[in-house]
Amino acid sequence: MKKLVLIFTLAISVTAIAITVSSCTAQREVSAQKSGAELWAQNCIRCHNIPSPPAYSDVQWETIGLHMKERANLTSEQIDKIVAFLQSAN
Amino acid sequence: MKKIFIVTIGLLLWGGSIFAQGSKPPKTQFMVRGYGHAGLDYIKTADGTDYSFVGAAFSPIFLFKQGKRFMFETELEFELQNNELEIGLEYANLMYVINKYLMIRGGKFLLPFGTFMERLHPAWINRLSSKPLGFGHDGIAPASDIGVELRGAAHIGGTAINYSVYVVNGPRLKDGSIEPDEAGMLNFQNYIDNNNNKFVGARVGYLPLYNSSLELGASFYTGKPGDKGSVYKDVTAFLWAVDFSFVKQISPIKGILDIKAQYNHTQLSDAYYPVGEEGRDSTDLYTFNNLSRAYYAQLSYRPSMASSSILKNIEIIGRYSQLNTPEGSEWESNVNEITIGLNYWITWRQVVKINYAFINSEGGHDAEDGTGKQKSNTLFVHWAIGL
Repeated sequence: MKKLVLIFTLAISVTAIAITVSSCTAQREVSAQKSGAELWAQNCIRCHNIPSPPAYSDVQWETIGLHMKERANLTSEQIDKIVAFLQSAN
Repeated sequence: MKKIFIVTIGLLLWGGSIFAQGSKPPKTQFMVRGYGHAGLDYIKTADGTDYSFVGAAFSPIFLFKQGKRFMFETELEFELQNNELEIGLEYANLMYVINKYLMIRGGKFLLPFGTFMERLHPAWINRLSSKPLGFGHDGIAPASDIGVELRGAAHIGGTAINYSVYVVNGPRLKDGSIEPDEAGMLNFQNYIDNNNNKFVGARVGYLPLYNSSLELGASFYTGKPGDKGSVYKDVTAFLWAVDFSFVKQISPIKGILDIKAQYNHTQLSDAYYPVGEEGRDSTDLYTFNNLSRAYYAQLSYRPSMASSSILKNIEIIGRYSQLNTPEGSEWESNVNEITIGLNYWITWRQVVKINYAFINSEGGHDAEDGTGKQKSNTLFVHWAIGL
């Protein structure tokens, strides 16, 4: 019973965080200020070297983008801009 | 069976290449990524030296993307062990993007307990050829499990936060009935649930700087690992970890500074385990404070802004790692390891790693006399590639 309460509380907490931050307009300002190239340089390097845009096709970058959004827990704004930059530079 | 499996993988690869050749991107996209590595290991202990070529390990990752929100991903491990091809399933999970701030995934997935196993362990990402102490075989931290997870990320002003919460089958408590010298250990490779009690875990990561160079994380993982109906059914396990990451290209030092660290803490409630080789038939019992700790701190520097094309691809690394397992247990040990490394990056995803490790250990269930101090040195020369 305690475990169920804990699971429920955690799930509610994560959802609450998501709802709270979704109402925050500041994140949109931050996202708007950074270019895809900046986000690519700043975020990919947190785990591995910065990937070369020509390494993959436009379609492949979309697939990798969704994979990395999940794996590195990047925000939607970040991954959308990074993928757009990689597709434009490959 | 293995042949059928390998032929199936071949067909998938062939099918993927056909998809890739189409002029109009299909809604279903299939892609193979992954990594592989090979190398030479030289190990020097008090008993002598041993060196051999190792590796030929290959870990393909298959990504199936349907539309913009759904993906299935799986990673396999092909490795030669004792002259036999071993095939492992690192993870296989479905993922769906609920909205901008939340996604759900289910199946077998890498656990966000700290960051090393989820993000940093692949051979072409891990700056050194070995894992820090406390991870992997006989480790004290979980790597993957089967269950369901909610995760996401968002900006808060100029900072960012990422979060995840999950429910999984959880590890199994080794009760000493099969391997008496491992009584009290958690078996994280136990994917089939041994009781109805699920493990719950979560991680929150916070990136306080505008340039995302710094990330601070905290995780926990808790549940009951004892077999259903056994005397260990009420034993509880509570694990927590904190992680640190700072990565930035700094102009005054003309390069990239990368600092990573993680501390793991594994505590199980008290229980009595059988003494000796008789296992569960033994009437003599003993107990101990079942607390294990492990941590690592790693620093690397790469002069990426150097004018020399050779120098800018060189990276130097140093890592200190320590593992302490419960005092009074059959597997009591104190191990520390200092590893230094010199890497050469051939491309952004291909590296030659030369690492040398100094290991001091005391105890451990593999030690012949159980408590003796041992020293060993290892040299790894590995070539790793990301696909």
